[in-house]
Amino acid sequence: MANEKVDVVIIGAGCSGSVFAYVLAKAGKKVVLIESGPDWQLTDLVSSEMWGRRIRPAGAPILLEGKNPMGYAGQAGWGVGGAALHYFANHPRYLVNDYKIKSEHNRALDWPISYQDVAPFYDRVAWDVGMSGDAKAEEIWRPAGKAYPMPPMKSFPNGEVWLKGFKELGIRTAPAPVAMNSTEFKGRPACIYDGWCHVGCPTGALANPVVTYLGEARKANAEVRAMSTVTRILTNQAGTRATGVEYYDEKKQRQVQEANVVIVAAWSGQNPRLLLNSATDKHPKGLGNSSGLLGKYMTSHTVAGIAALFDEDLQNHLGTIGAQFMSYDRYDKTAYKDQFGSTYITVGFAQKTHDFAASRPELYGAPLADFMKRAARGFTRITLFGEELPNIENRVELSSEKDAYGMPLGRLVHSYDDTAAALWRANGVEGLRIAKAAGAKEAWTGNVIPTSHLHGGTIMGTGAGNSVVNSYGQCHELPNLYVAGPSTFPTEGASNPTYTILAVALRGAEQLAASWGTVAG
Amino acid sequence: MENLERRTFMKGAGLGLLAFTVGSAKVLMTPGQARAQAVPFRLLNGNEGAVIEALGETLVPGARQAGIAHFIDHQISVPAEEALLQARILNVRPPFANFYRAAIGAVDRGAEKVFNRKFAQLTAAEQYDFVGRMRQNTIEGWTGPTGGFIYTLLRTDAVDVVYGTMEGYAALGIPYQAHIVPDKRW
Repeated sequence: MANEKVDVVIIGAGCSGSVFAYVLAKAGKKVVLIESGPDWQLTDLVSSEMWGRRIRPAGAPILLEGKNPMGYAGQAGWGVGGAALHYFANHPRYLVNDYKIKSEHNRALDWPISYQDVAPFYDRVAWDVGMSGDAKAEEIWRPAGKAYPMPPMKSFPNGEVWLKGFKELGIRTAPAPVAMNSTEFKGRPACIYDGWCHVGCPTGALANPVVTYLGEARKANAEVRAMSTVTRILTNQAGTRATGVEYYDEKKQRQVQEANVVIVAAWSGQNPRLLLNSATDKHPKGLGNSSGLLGKYMTSHTVAGIAALFDEDLQNHLGTIGAQFMSYDRYDKTAYKDQFGSTYITVGFAQKTHDFAASRPELYGAPLADFMKRAARGFTRITLFGEELPNIENRVELSSEKDAYGMPLGRLVHSYDDTAAALWRANGVEGLRIAKAAGAKEAWTGNVIPTSHLHGGTIMGTGAGNSVVNSYGQCHELPNLYVAGPSTFPTEGASNPTYTILAVALRGAEQLAASWGTVAG
Repeated sequence: MENLERRTFMKGAGLGLLAFTVGSAKVLMTPGQARAQAVPFRLLNGNEGAVIEALGETLVPGARQAGIAHFIDHQISVPAEEALLQARILNVRPPFANFYRAAIGAVDRGAEKVFNRKFAQLTAAEQYDFVGRMRQNTIEGWTGPTGGFIYTLLRTDAVDVVYGTMEGYAALGIPYQAHIVPDKRW
């Protein structure tokens, strides 16, 4: 069935798609977002670990392979808000050094833009969505920018107890920048520090897309079609323009939505899968793939999680899942002797019983029961995120297996190389040093490298020979096809990516709105 | 689940309440209550329920009484997108019942290789020893889903029913502090 042609069709109602919807709907464009999951309401976001799994995919359409398979489903989203409906709302920026690794170190890739290009959008996003933190305190690591609209969040003993360790080792910390309300902001209440952020914040204190850009886009008449799965991006016969999308609606009926502009914003696994599955005789390797790089350079952060038990009652049920404190003091690419890559450190998070159990996966039976009692009082954590450099072997490709709509599943192959593994080990050692200096009674870290955050697959670059899209997310080969989200990131830094996703999307959306006449045709 | 059921039962989510069928009526109760009232399983057979209970109890003491078998039975009977299981996070391909049946079969076959008896018939000490070996994938001739993966998934299921509810938090002396229910939509 064909629908009336619209100005813009956006695949995915997560954070980057919501930004494009917001900007373009406000510019008077007719915008339709097609979302594979439900149209969640805040009242659906139940404070429960188990119920929180419902806002993740069930049977993710991506097969996970490699030496270090991505923890895909736990981090992906399903439904409006996408992964940002359950994200931790940590909003550190990428720093100046993240954008020019190739130029400065002759390793990895450069972004086609610099920190200075993105900086104004960081500042604007902070005020659009509401951020708490101390921008001035961050200036020891980054260029000055605007202050955050709200002061830092409250801290609690489970975060404060670590500060002694950082101080003794000379590692500087600052209040963590988070997209949460320390005070009322734009009619949304201040956080109540119950620590259920990761299953979706129903109060509106956490800036998920439902209460920020997507909510604003809907006010400007953007339409969301939930439970609708896009299977192909359609192109004209000459292969020069995108013409719309094919999707299956909530009744599993095939639909076509024509549009002047198509925006692919379905996260890093799905974006390349969709573009690969949209191959035509004019684009036999997939849309935007003349470079052969579509689906390539998937990256993920390593996570050195340091868990510790202290003697005192740390009130670890209080706080948010976002960090209380952070440090960029190991963010320089060569911060550790003999290692390479950035490290971002986050400190102090509210803990739930599942966190206790997950921290000691080898315990079961009576030893686990005993540990759970001890953890209830004195358990706390810090996290050191490590950078993985882009590796062309880490990729998304199409599988021979198909989903319910006959679309090939994605196959995401991911393995950490020696550089990433060595940095992860160094971060584990560093974290344990911090724990010891903080006076932890016990401290430990895991022996398997977790994956966190997913980037790459449709990287941005200077031309069709070295990338899929330009710095605005515009496909080099089809000018009215845009790609949004972390799939466009050529490198990943070590910072949690959502703030940069929002800033880069805002920059791209405004470029599209400003050049609408030439892009939309 | 239908909207009515979902909305109604979400209110009891923190308490771990689910919709069980007693007679012809749907009744809100915890999996532990369902077990205590001998509510029939929807999909599992008797041996499958017994293996899950024994395995759950070995992994997390209290899981049997907390109704781990009724919890899993309930969750594998609803559409995958409605399920609350960790299986969805660990990228298990739906229908999840297939995985649990395969896992139960693997555990029973493994127990028979090592002890010449099915898992539920082992002593508590034997079950503890077996689970340790299963976790480390050291049982020779193992077939089916890997022991380490079964351990990880079933352990989380057991944590769910024992420690994931308001009752479980209370038992550890931790305030559950569910968010307030918002009265406003944005």
